[in-house]
Amino acid sequence: MKNTIKIERAFKDLTQEGLANKIGVSRQTINSIEKNRYIPSTLLALKISKVFEKNVNEIFKLEEND
Amino acid sequence: MNNSKCKVYLSIRKVNLTPSLITMDKSQFELRLLPIYFKTVALGIMLVTFCFSLLSVFEIITFDKEVAKTISKSVFLIALLILAISKNKIEDELTLVIRLKAFTASFIFGVLIVIIDPIINLFFEGMLLLDKGVTELLIGMLLYYFFMFFLMKRNK
Repeated sequence: MKNTIKIERAFKDLTQEGLANKIGVSRQTINSIEKNRYIPSTLLALKISKVFEKNVNEIFKLEEND
Repeated sequence: MNNSKCKVYLSIRKVNLTPSLITMDKSQFELRLLPIYFKTVALGIMLVTFCFSLLSVFEIITFDKEVAKTISKSVFLIALLILAISKNKIEDELTLVIRLKAFTASFIFGVLIVIIDPIINLFFEGMLLLDKGVTELLIGMLLYYFFMFFLMKRNK
């Protein structure tokens, strides 16, 4: 699974801390998601997509082996 | 089954055709943990236990040593348990995953100790870890839990 959170953050000029505060998680969780060490739940994925005003599929993409 | 037939079939079975959103249960992301201030309570209990142990060791307070030891160990175990099951500053789904993994790891650690301990005792007599009691095993498991929790949290 791939994600474009880092790019979306750059577009919105948001820090990891800022995004974390907006969706009510720790900065470490955002860092783990960005580095592909943790796959978020549907709930968190929807919250992230709401912040970036995009569909979940545009931010999180399945890879061939998924 | 074509579309009209399908509608007739569904109306006979009294299936509601209007789409409705179902509210999903979010309780899977919640562990019933103690509030954050319990961490302070646990640390306070630990401090009191430590002072009590010191006072009884240096015989400042007269107390039967074995009784003092048992009380100290039990209270320390309770303090560790409170510390383990109280919330962190930020409790999110990643913390929950790490917490559950750390609990699993500490349980496996406990089982392995119980299995390995008699084997070690066969080769090195008198090295029986569990000889000291179950309290020590539980304290060891909880300390291993904290070790794994902070290790996983740092590496995530």
